Amino acid sequence: MRRTLNAVHGWLVGVWEDIKASTDSSLLGMARFVGLLYGPIDRSLRIDLALRKSLRYRLAPQVGWRHAPGGVTYLLFIVLVVTGVLMAAYYRPSVEEAYPSVQHIVSEARFGWLVRDLHYWCANLIVIAVLAHMARVFFEAAYKPPRETNWLIGLLLLFVVLAFGATGYLLPWDQWSYWTVTEVLNAVAHIPLVGRPIADAAMGDVIPSGATLSRFFALHVIVLPWIAFALLGYHFTLVRRRGIAPAMDSEDEAARWRSSGKHEPGEKPQGVPFFPTHLLRSFSVAVLTLAVAITLAVLFPRVLADPADPYALPDELVSTWVPVDVSLALIRLAGPWGFALFTLLGVSLVLIPLLDRGPERRLRRRPIVATLGLTFFVGYLALWIAGRAIGSVPPSASLGEAVEERAVPVGSSARPPQVQPARPAAAPENADEGGGR
Amino acid sequence: MIGGGVLLTLVGVVAASEGGGITATRAALPQRSVSQDSTYGCIVCHADKRRAFSQGVHAERGIRCEDCHGGDPSQYETPAAHRGRFVGSPTKRETVELCASCHSDPNQMRQYGLSVDQLAEFRTSRHGQLLMEQRNRDAPTCTDCHHAHLIRPASDARSEIYPSNIPGTCAVCHENASLMAKYGMPTDQLERFTVGAHGVAVFEKRNFAAPTCIGCHGSHAALPPAVAEITHVCGKCHVLLARAFYEGPHGEPAQAGGLSGCVGCHSNHGTERIPPEQIGELCTTCHDAESRMAAVGFEIEEQVGRAGEELAAAAVAIDEMAANGRETADDRFRYQAAFTAYQQLAKVQHSLDLEQLEELGREVRSNTGIIRATAEAYAEERWEHKLVLIPVWFLALSALVFAWFKLRELGR
Repeated sequence: MRRTLNAVHGWLVGVWEDIKASTDSSLLGMARFVGLLYGPIDRSLRIDLALRKSLRYRLAPQVGWRHAPGGVTYLLFIVLVVTGVLMAAYYRPSVEEAYPSVQHIVSEARFGWLVRDLHYWCANLIVIAVLAHMARVFFEAAYKPPRETNWLIGLLLLFVVLAFGATGYLLPWDQWSYWTVTEVLNAVAHIPLVGRPIADAAMGDVIPSGATLSRFFALHVIVLPWIAFALLGYHFTLVRRRGIAPAMDSEDEAARWRSSGKHEPGEKPQGVPFFPTHLLRSFSVAVLTLAVAITLAVLFPRVLADPADPYALPDELVSTWVPVDVSLALIRLAGPWGFALFTLLGVSLVLIPLLDRGPERRLRRRPIVATLGLTFFVGYLALWIAGRAIGSVPPSASLGEAVEERAVPVGSSARPPQVQPARPAAAPENADEGGGR
Repeated sequence: MIGGGVLLTLVGVVAASEGGGITATRAALPQRSVSQDSTYGCIVCHADKRRAFSQGVHAERGIRCEDCHGGDPSQYETPAAHRGRFVGSPTKRETVELCASCHSDPNQMRQYGLSVDQLAEFRTSRHGQLLMEQRNRDAPTCTDCHHAHLIRPASDARSEIYPSNIPGTCAVCHENASLMAKYGMPTDQLERFTVGAHGVAVFEKRNFAAPTCIGCHGSHAALPPAVAEITHVCGKCHVLLARAFYEGPHGEPAQAGGLSGCVGCHSNHGTERIPPEQIGELCTTCHDAESRMAAVGFEIEEQVGRAGEELAAAAVAIDEMAANGRETADDRFRYQAAFTAYQQLAKVQHSLDLEQLEELGREVRSNTGIIRATAEAYAEERWEHKLVLIPVWFLALSALVFAWFKLRELGR
């Protein structure tokens, strides 16, 4: 009996070792491919050793709570992917079915309301998180060499986030989304030279229509996710390769932290252990972020307007996305020139790592950069709050020619013209003759 | 490139001058218009009349100066041109006869689909009586409403008789205080019409199915309707309301001329809508406040007012459900059913049939009741969503407390 059990045990151990030997290398390969692990891992390193090694990893001592927004952004991205996939099971990207399918998600599908509002709120929070992350990188001069590539990748990721929002905005196919996208594409078409072709390509028709919806859906769920995953992989790989940027008042010690997070042999371990300290901090932030997102989703659901109707201009557009609020506040408070200048300021941040390349990291020694950054980031927040408070009327309501140009008849919701009872027009002759008037 | 442009321009100029040649050839043909007729003597002195006339419908139909005024248009000197059967400025009575000479002739009017009874109608009108029988020069003639020379069709928005211009045309005289004082007439008709239901329909909504002055008074046969005729006049458009009114207790006396029909409650030119909450009070202007008939009025007020409130509440409930993503086609269908019953209430209240009113009120309430119940159930469901926050925050706070203790322990 005992011998039989030993034989079975021996056989099971053998099978287990064989499976491990054959899967370890492929698992490691996959992990490395998606950027989860980085280091001198090769076929000879077993997956359990790799895990232990990564748990022993230490982060530089300056890594603290202010580094959280980057992780929060990634967490929100994952939540957006999960909720997006769940909604894709119900959503139908056609003019006839888009709106009813959103109604179905909200009122019929189990927890559909939570999934949809979580998606909507995470799409807003991710913009704030990205900007907070960028602000930290900006003011701590983390964009300086050798990390300037990662700043540029980060900016690309910002544009990807904005593109996600812009394309997702149309999908509910209600009046607000339809007319906001109409206004945005009208505005894009006014950009000299390139505007019209871009707007036409995005629209696929003379007005936003089924063709536009299909294009936006394809971009939102197929094209942009692939771009985002590729850029994220590159972004994280670069973070590991270059190390976390040093504190503002210290030298760059990245070389010591670079390769594996461990010190030189024989040196006393310093820094924050990844496990459990950093993981626990990340966990706390993640839990808090999720709880806040769920709370916002439950308490402030995204209201559905009437179904999209190209023949009826709504009296009011309710913005449901942070950048729309900011643009609205800019145009109302600072005019088109203010909008252009602020956009230029934002775009000029792209050039910062090309111009500001000195070793100086202290904020007081970088007054120009500090002023520019403060204007942009604080301005963005202030404009967001202001934009929320401003009620929006579709600009097309006052731009008659824009409406005529697109041959969209103004619906009954437009303001009725002030009509006075007409008098007979004066005739082009004297009225004093008998019989004539 | 530039040379090509010059060449094209030259070709265009040549083509244009050839076009001019064709026009000159056409002018020599017998069917020429007044504006192109250089041999026409009248325009030497009366160019302004020619200009006005040429824009009107008569010029289009080939009518010429001498067709109305006589004389000899081939002459350029006044004495010669004004010779023979010549009428320079016809009097108001002559004008009527002059216009009627063509407009009463079926053989001439048939081709334009115009009626030929204008003169006959005009003679029956107050205007016609004053002018033709009493020779009163205050009374208007054809050209006072249609202009003497610049006569445009009624379909032309610049015409005096285009629907939205008619009230202004009538008001030229009827707003003249000194003129109207002679006949003891008020001058506030246009002012009251403009703010009334019909005025709003015509001027603001451009709904030309709504009547202007001529819709009730007639055009050429303009007269105020007799008391007994009032409900018939309103009933031309408000067919169901008039029928309900005749069925009710007011119908018979109104037809006999003892009651002023519709205008008794709605006024004449103001065509006032009666808000539901004023129905009962309106009845007490004729009936004693304690009387049975006043009680009927207050009962109608109660029914109509309640149905209106129910409908408004149902509309809000539907909007709320739609805003929260619920599919509302069924509720909107019910709302339409309730709204139809509500519109029938408006008809039935004119017959004072309380039984029918009650039944329609019930129909409104049963439909709106279901809509509101559905909305309440949905609102409750949405409120229950908030309960999700309890486990979420319980778990989140527990996790945070655990993490905080652990981090503090690690920090030591």
